[in-house]
Amino acid sequence: MFRALSTAGLVSLFAAMAIAQAPQALTVTSPTLKAGVTIPRDYTADGKNVSPPLQWSGAPAPTKEFAVICDDPDVPMPQPFVHWVIYKIPGTAKGLPENIPIDPAAAMPADVAGAVQGTSGFRRPIYRGPAPPPGKPHHYHFTVYAIDAVLDLKPGLTKAELLEAIKGHVVGEGELVAIYERKPSAEQP
Amino acid sequence: MISRRALLKAAGAVAAGAAGAEVTRAEGIADTPAPASAAADRPAHDHDQASPREPLEALTAEEAALLTAIVARLIPADLNGPGAVEAGAVAYIDRALAGSLASSREAYRRGLAAVERYARSSRGGSFRELTPVDQDSLLIDVETGAATGSGAGFDGSSAAFFALVRAHTWQGTFGDPHYGGNREYIGWNLVGYPGVRTAVTADDQRLGVVPAPLRRSAYDTDMFTKATARLDPRDPHHGDPA
Repeated sequence: MFRALSTAGLVSLFAAMAIAQAPQALTVTSPTLKAGVTIPRDYTADGKNVSPPLQWSGAPAPTKEFAVICDDPDVPMPQPFVHWVIYKIPGTAKGLPENIPIDPAAAMPADVAGAVQGTSGFRRPIYRGPAPPPGKPHHYHFTVYAIDAVLDLKPGLTKAELLEAIKGHVVGEGELVAIYERKPSAEQP
Repeated sequence: MISRRALLKAAGAVAAGAAGAEVTRAEGIADTPAPASAAADRPAHDHDQASPREPLEALTAEEAALLTAIVARLIPADLNGPGAVEAGAVAYIDRALAGSLASSREAYRRGLAAVERYARSSRGGSFRELTPVDQDSLLIDVETGAATGSGAGFDGSSAAFFALVRAHTWQGTFGDPHYGGNREYIGWNLVGYPGVRTAVTADDQRLGVVPAPLRRSAYDTDMFTKATARLDPRDPHHGDPA
């Protein structure tokens, strides 16, 4: 009897720990992107290729910083193709404005001052939007991470390096998934 | 679009051995600093006056103007001094396309036309009329291959055309002036290349001594004659990275 109670207690304890460590769900939206809907051209390589605006809510109290990753798992590659890595977004931010500068010397918008960008699959520390091969719609996951610490993160991290660096500090997570497809084009002269 | 610091780092190795125009393609390209000045907000076609002064030999006037606008972003004139346009990189490329790089002429015709089509379809205007920031953004898409499937008509990957233009721009900026670029030794001055030397004195080799730069073509020395230059257009090896 006593043993059974102990076992049950341990199970409850582990369950409570698991709940405590699971990231809280964030709600991620955008004034211009809609879940499951085609991404407007200006956020793609067929347009101006500027970064889209994002908004989020539901971050838990311990949140000190945010990070955002955009990737595409539909590429014919072992890992999703990374389009954007941005982090050290202040914990007070409610989102990212449109058109984050591509010039590393340019100042970040005031609401996200201090944010830095990491290295994408295009080997650039900037947003580069969808440019998929024609054939099918690709899904673009804009994932937002709430982080409970101000970590010493250098600019230029890859997605893998960033995820490793924030491991154990993610207290909230959410995503917005939109799509984009290129149609086969006629041969130009 | 190339940061000056990274450019110098990459080009230093190139210039160190560049007696001729056979500049090898360096690894990688720097990141994307667009100008953070007010100039970033206005169209960037102020380089028209710096177009080749000699009659064009291979490119059309339209192609030369577009190419001038492109190389102006690859190695821009800035606070560190003149850039590729001022160095005559376009004149070098034009002259080479009529001679030793003739095998690349068609690639330029198709590639430049594709860049212009891509500018109009993606950014809504001619490349020359875009702001420097938009020009840089567009060139990044060309460089990374993101422009390939845009319907602009690049042959294969847009990245191949970018690599071709980049390699030739570097040749025209940092190569020997004998080939028509590197005017007034702009490229050599930019990277601090001491110049072609056939002799190095003991004084030159002392620690801490910075030799006075020699500014003359390698072909002006007796032991390096023009006869050694391979100018046969049928020779595909002469500086052509394709």
